Amino acid sequence: MSAKVYLKRAKDGELVQATLCDQITQNHLDQWETTWIPEMKAFAKQRSSASGPEDAHWDWRGKVGKGATFLSHCSFALESNGNLQGMMMANTVVSARLPEQFGKPLVYIEYLATAPWNRPETSNPSRLRGIGSAFVLTAIELSIDEGFKGRVGLHSLSEAEDFYEVKCGMTRLGPDGAHQDLTYFELTETQAESFRRNI
Amino acid sequence: MKEYPKEWFARRADIEGDAEVGAGIPPTHRSTYTRPPPPDAIDTRIALGQFVELWRRNKGWNPERLANEAGIDTSEILEIEQDPHCSPEPSAIFKLAHVFGVPPRRLLEIAGLVNDRTPLLRESAIRFAATSKPISSLSEEEREALEAFVAALSASTKS
Repeated sequence: MSAKVYLKRAKDGELVQATLCDQITQNHLDQWETTWIPEMKAFAKQRSSASGPEDAHWDWRGKVGKGATFLSHCSFALESNGNLQGMMMANTVVSARLPEQFGKPLVYIEYLATAPWNRPETSNPSRLRGIGSAFVLTAIELSIDEGFKGRVGLHSLSEAEDFYEVKCGMTRLGPDGAHQDLTYFELTETQAESFRRNI
Repeated sequence: MKEYPKEWFARRADIEGDAEVGAGIPPTHRSTYTRPPPPDAIDTRIALGQFVELWRRNKGWNPERLANEAGIDTSEILEIEQDPHCSPEPSAIFKLAHVFGVPPRRLLEIAGLVNDRTPLLRESAIRFAATSKPISSLSEEEREALEAFVAALSASTKS
């Protein structure tokens, strides 16, 4: 199963058709290993840093393999012109923390990352825009399909907090001591509806 | 997933702009990605080296030409061809597979860069390695190159 989505090419503002695949496949993992990793290593080398971007250590092959053993885990990949542009893993057996929806089930985004060439940090200017939004929309749609009414939760990497709070309209619940003080964000049913309606 | 109109994505892409969007595990867990050492990869890497060399020679290409066609360093070609203990970059194998017109996944497997290995492919690789070693005498060019290299070695020993 796959869905048609669109991304915006940064250099000329043209919309580019992309495919959202509802599974991270072997081919995606091979692409991650042969294209993302070398770019992230090159970026780290350029900055004389040992580790590169915040998510440079994520072993997607291991994560996908582990997730495949749980029915509650879903994986998604975004392709454009056959090239892997982003990946996301989500868990459907997590409960909400916001007082107004406390204890209700939501879709928890475990991992979300874009290809290094789509990030301002590693590629200036970035090539394609809208990948984060396409994945948040996917998580909302999954939440609705599961009967969770669009509720979504996630721990944001530090550089992405503005995106989730300001651009996606999620509620910031503050640093989470159980998750190395990463900031936790949650989307309510109303916020999810606003996001879907693009307002 | 329900399909959304183009305009939805256009507007969202503008709102998103150049924002970072990563979400997931705590940054204190970071460490550089290291590939687990592949078990028993030497046998198929010997086959990989011979395959690359024979494919190249069959085309009449020198290592530099192959490196240019693949977009990788000549030193990497030489390393792959001659050192079964080398750890080639997956991207280099990927690019070579495109030049050779073979499935990248299979070539990555022969290179020992994936953990799931196909027994039949491994058997074929070993058989190839065992039978593709030249047993004929050296060509004139090979003999000249060998003699020149021996001469260079002798000269550097004497100096």
